Amino acid sequence: MWEQAKNALTQSTERFLTKFASILPGIVALIVAIVVSIVLAWILALLARRLLSSMRFDERMARWGISSATEWSPMNKPTDLVARGIAVLIVLMGVLIGVAAFDAELTTLLVRTIFGYVPNILGALLVLLVGNIIARFFSRSVLIGAVNMNFQYARLLSVGVKWLVIVLAVAMALEDLRIASGIVELAFGILFGGIVLTLAVAIGFNSKELLTKSLERDPKKDSTEAIEDPLRQL
Amino acid sequence: MEVDSIPKTTATKGEELEHADLVIAILTELCPEEIAVVIGGLRGLSSSIRIVVALKDGTALLPQNNSANGEGGSNLAIIPWTALGLDMSGPPLPSISAGYQSIFAASLKLEAQACCVIASNLENETPHWVSRFIQPVLEPGFDLVAPHFARNKLEGLLNSAIVSPLCRSLYGSRIQNPMGPDLAISRRLFQHIVGADPNARLKNRRIHPLASLAPIAVCGNLKVCQVHLGARRYPPADWMNVSSLLVEVLGPLFLDMETNAACWQRVRRTVPVADLGEPVPPSATVGAIDVDRLLNSFQLGVRDLQEIWGMVLPPASLFELRKLARLRSEQFQMPDDLWVRLVYDFALAHHLRTINRDHLLRSMTPLYLGWVASHAREVANADAGSVEKRLGRLAIAFETGKSYLVSQWRWPDRFNP
Repeated sequence: MWEQAKNALTQSTERFLTKFASILPGIVALIVAIVVSIVLAWILALLARRLLSSMRFDERMARWGISSATEWSPMNKPTDLVARGIAVLIVLMGVLIGVAAFDAELTTLLVRTIFGYVPNILGALLVLLVGNIIARFFSRSVLIGAVNMNFQYARLLSVGVKWLVIVLAVAMALEDLRIASGIVELAFGILFGGIVLTLAVAIGFNSKELLTKSLERDPKKDSTEAIEDPLRQL
Repeated sequence: MEVDSIPKTTATKGEELEHADLVIAILTELCPEEIAVVIGGLRGLSSSIRIVVALKDGTALLPQNNSANGEGGSNLAIIPWTALGLDMSGPPLPSISAGYQSIFAASLKLEAQACCVIASNLENETPHWVSRFIQPVLEPGFDLVAPHFARNKLEGLLNSAIVSPLCRSLYGSRIQNPMGPDLAISRRLFQHIVGADPNARLKNRRIHPLASLAPIAVCGNLKVCQVHLGARRYPPADWMNVSSLLVEVLGPLFLDMETNAACWQRVRRTVPVADLGEPVPPSATVGAIDVDRLLNSFQLGVRDLQEIWGMVLPPASLFELRKLARLRSEQFQMPDDLWVRLVYDFALAHHLRTINRDHLLRSMTPLYLGWVASHAREVANADAGSVEKRLGRLAIAFETGKSYLVSQWRWPDRFNP
């Protein structure tokens, strides 16, 4: 009996050691991949930070009107956010490469799924970025135009237009990420409708001023004068 | 703008127009009597000069007793605007910029010695005003003739507030109306501008056919003069729609500053240009400006455009503007040095592309309206002489502030409180 127990223990130890020996290279590969990716991430983040600083990236972002990221995270400059983003991406890739080294079917599937999702993430980020730029541009155009037309609610109009575009961009990004599409559609409809209603109210208030101004204009003035060359007034 | 052919039918004595010494485009609507005055004046020029005049409807508008082939002896041909390639499908009057481009192309094609654009109406037209205006470029000497109008105190204010003093401080020539809109140009100058291919050159070199003329003439050491023409009739100003005027006028002006940066940074002092003709006092008619409405626009701008102005103006200017916006209407006065700083800071922001250029220029509207309100209040009871002196002081403030512009242009990162 003792002999049988000894054999069972020996076989179990052999099986464990064999199994452990078979996954040991995978573990070593995972550790190496993570360590290398951390070092690489640190170097690339440092390079990115220096490059962006030399390009005055923070000032350019502010000039282009893309300050939303800093508004959400005021302690971090856009340069830091980009550098950290690059670092996180590299470490994540290192982890995925390390996990894939186990060569297990499950991990391969996991890696394939995650890599398959990357284009959606990039697409969503691009939609958010472009949406932000367009929102800022339209918001400024509306603000300046409304102030020049003496609208008292110019700022409200401008903020409304900005959020209209941002809500649209966020909804498109979430749709691209395939996250809770039903809820997103519903929430988007409610928010979009709400903003449009707010804008309609603001325009309604301003239209009173607009109407008064157009009535005050000289009725004898020919409508063609309005579209004549501005240089003639110089 | 292509000028393929100048119609034979309108040519003098039935000849095909292949050559002209002088090409004139009258880009304003004149009644037959006014046309008769202009044509009569042109006949006073030497009979050996071949002149082509572009009018709205060509000879159709000429009074019966004033044919183009009259017995006056001058070789005068009258053509319609469309013959110059001007697009008449839009507004009733053609664009002045397009008019300049067309006349440059036509002058080049006809190998003219000079060309001239008349785009404004005078209050009292005398028979010889056009010929007096053109004469300096025909006789050897001057390359650019600009008009010197008798200023009504509340008209042509964009020119008085920005265009004239800015050009004076930048380029050193005291021209009252550097952007005309009426200008007579010698062959040397328009060749300098358009070269062989007018369309390609104007596009590639970012030359504005109107705004660039005076800077190019001054920087190229060409001779410039101005002729006293009397008071001008301005179209009624729409103070609630000034932003497009600012974009049309200041955009090319600021672009020219980039093109001619090497030239204007060398200029240290200003010199008067030759003044020809007799000064004419302005008419007694004084328009009215609703100062309170302009002040409202200014105050609204200060309240709502801080975010945009904050990217363009230094904190000290923003503080001054906030202080001004709190003043009561009767106390409101924009100091010259503040106005000069504002104009220079907008020119710098245009150069550095701090924000979209169209947004930048349109956002300047409330500031300009603030200046207009301040000026209108200040000169409300002033006579013509006092107004001229006041604008002279403004021009000197532009000259004094130029060192700030040069410094910020060269070193934009320098601390600017």
